[in-house]
Amino acid sequence: MSKIMSLEAAVSTYVHDGDSICIGGCTTNRKPYALVREIIRQGRTGLYLHGAASGGDADMLIGADCCTAYINSYCANSGYTNVSRRYRKYVEEGKILFEDYSLDIHAALYHAAALGFPFIAVKHMLGSDLVDKVGISEEVRAKHPKLPPQKCKIAENPFKPGDQLCYIPVPDIDVALIHVQKAALDGTCRIEGAVFNDLDMALGARHVIISCEEIVTEQEIRREPGLNQISCIIPDAIVLAPFGAHPSQVYNYYDYDRNFLKYYDKVSREDGLYEEFLKSWVQEPADHYAYLERLGTKRLMDLRVRKGMNFTVALESEGGKA
Amino acid sequence: MSYTNKEMQVIMIARQIKDGQRVIVGTGLPLVGASLAKRTYAPNCCLLVESGMIDGCPIEAPTSVADLRFSNGASTLGETFRYFGMQNNNLRKPLMDLGFLGGAQVDPYGNLNSTSIGDYHHPSARFSGSGGANGIATYVNTVLMMQHQKRRFVEKVDYLTSPGWIDGPDGRRKKGLPEDRGPQVVITNLGLMRFDEQTKRMYVAEYFPGVTPQEIQENTGFEIDISRAVESQPPEEECLEILRNQIDPSRLYIGKE
Repeated sequence: MSKIMSLEAAVSTYVHDGDSICIGGCTTNRKPYALVREIIRQGRTGLYLHGAASGGDADMLIGADCCTAYINSYCANSGYTNVSRRYRKYVEEGKILFEDYSLDIHAALYHAAALGFPFIAVKHMLGSDLVDKVGISEEVRAKHPKLPPQKCKIAENPFKPGDQLCYIPVPDIDVALIHVQKAALDGTCRIEGAVFNDLDMALGARHVIISCEEIVTEQEIRREPGLNQISCIIPDAIVLAPFGAHPSQVYNYYDYDRNFLKYYDKVSREDGLYEEFLKSWVQEPADHYAYLERLGTKRLMDLRVRKGMNFTVALESEGGKA
Repeated sequence: MSYTNKEMQVIMIARQIKDGQRVIVGTGLPLVGASLAKRTYAPNCCLLVESGMIDGCPIEAPTSVADLRFSNGASTLGETFRYFGMQNNNLRKPLMDLGFLGGAQVDPYGNLNSTSIGDYHHPSARFSGSGGANGIATYVNTVLMMQHQKRRFVEKVDYLTSPGWIDGPDGRRKKGLPEDRGPQVVITNLGLMRFDEQTKRMYVAEYFPGVTPQEIQENTGFEIDISRAVESQPPEEECLEILRNQIDPSRLYIGKE
């Protein structure tokens, strides 16, 4: 049975107001921006956004007022924006509930979720304010049942008297958003290059929406099953979205769009500019293809990576003629 | 041969890496310094990033720990949690020798803040957060990269993101942290600091040519011992040439002369 859906239908079917969500990829690499833009376009609110190495994806959902809470360990389009600006503003102005962990913790939590475990017990965070300063108190959490009841707890290792451990509850994620290179209609997915936390997110979340660069046949993707990560039974929806991770990069396909990342850095500094940005790059384009049209053919073609190097190489830099 | 302050910092970073070491590099100057070490002092060093890519050999400098540029010539790419697993196993199976961390504030014991300034709930400045820094500081010896300013070298950090020696020689044990890992060196735009073996308090070990130990004290927001300070060796010409011509030809990181 085909799991293919339109971008609109996949988001309206599987992402609801008040859901807890997580997003695959890493900072400026393989971020499912087409899905993020569609969530904003559909006006979702009250989301509980669980991070890892977040970038503009989380920043846009925060800046478009889609999120009630953001569970952070890192938020930056590193190299272009050292601290994501909407996220920073919302935290500084008290406009969002937030909590802090570290990338290790997020990776372990998603892996524990994939294994069906209720908590992790680690040495991390001991001796730091990650334990001592709580972003979302137990009282506030009681009003938000989608969040675990407590940030963390220090307790003795039951098998090693005197040894302290930090216990952290595993969140219950409703929807994982993931962008992959290749997917088949049956749901089988292939991620090329670094997988990051994506497989764990897909296994741990109740629902999974996949956007992909291309649809391939089942025969083709099953010719080398060892290269596939996400099994056919995992995704709920497969959405064809070529360049669907723009402005981030996709291994074997395209590089990040430096100019767009610089532009995002500029517009995310000011409320007025940001509203304009959301209007012209998220709300106005009728669909993903209208977004791509706005970017233009040459710009997109220029982002394609040089095979063997995995980044774009300007012809000018090699003595070619522009 | 004249050189910029950034070039001096890069050389100092490269000098911390011994041949064959496995080093966790973020982006920015540590990656530039490690790339230089790989072509000079430590040709067999192995570069790691916390997104999980192992032994990358980037041609063009990556802008993030996830940048495809780092995947060039890498051994494996893999899943992020497996990288963190290796890091968590670093005491019983030491695979990681040194990690580079940066921050907004540091205290005399090398505790680092990369989270926020002011009240945590209503910060006057909010930063990206721990990233992988907390775990690196927990399990791996570290080199801290700082701008040397009074407001950054403080008696007490506003938010302790990544633990150093906590409050002295017994600090890490009291908190349940691995005791024999911690910050080794602080590199700034003025010099190089180390931590006293007995007290674990920061002291000035080297000041850059053209800088005085007094200048370092003046730019430090706490009492710092300068009695052991010596002048750093200036950069070797050969290293500067490799740095300028091969590693950062567009001078994105090392600045213009």
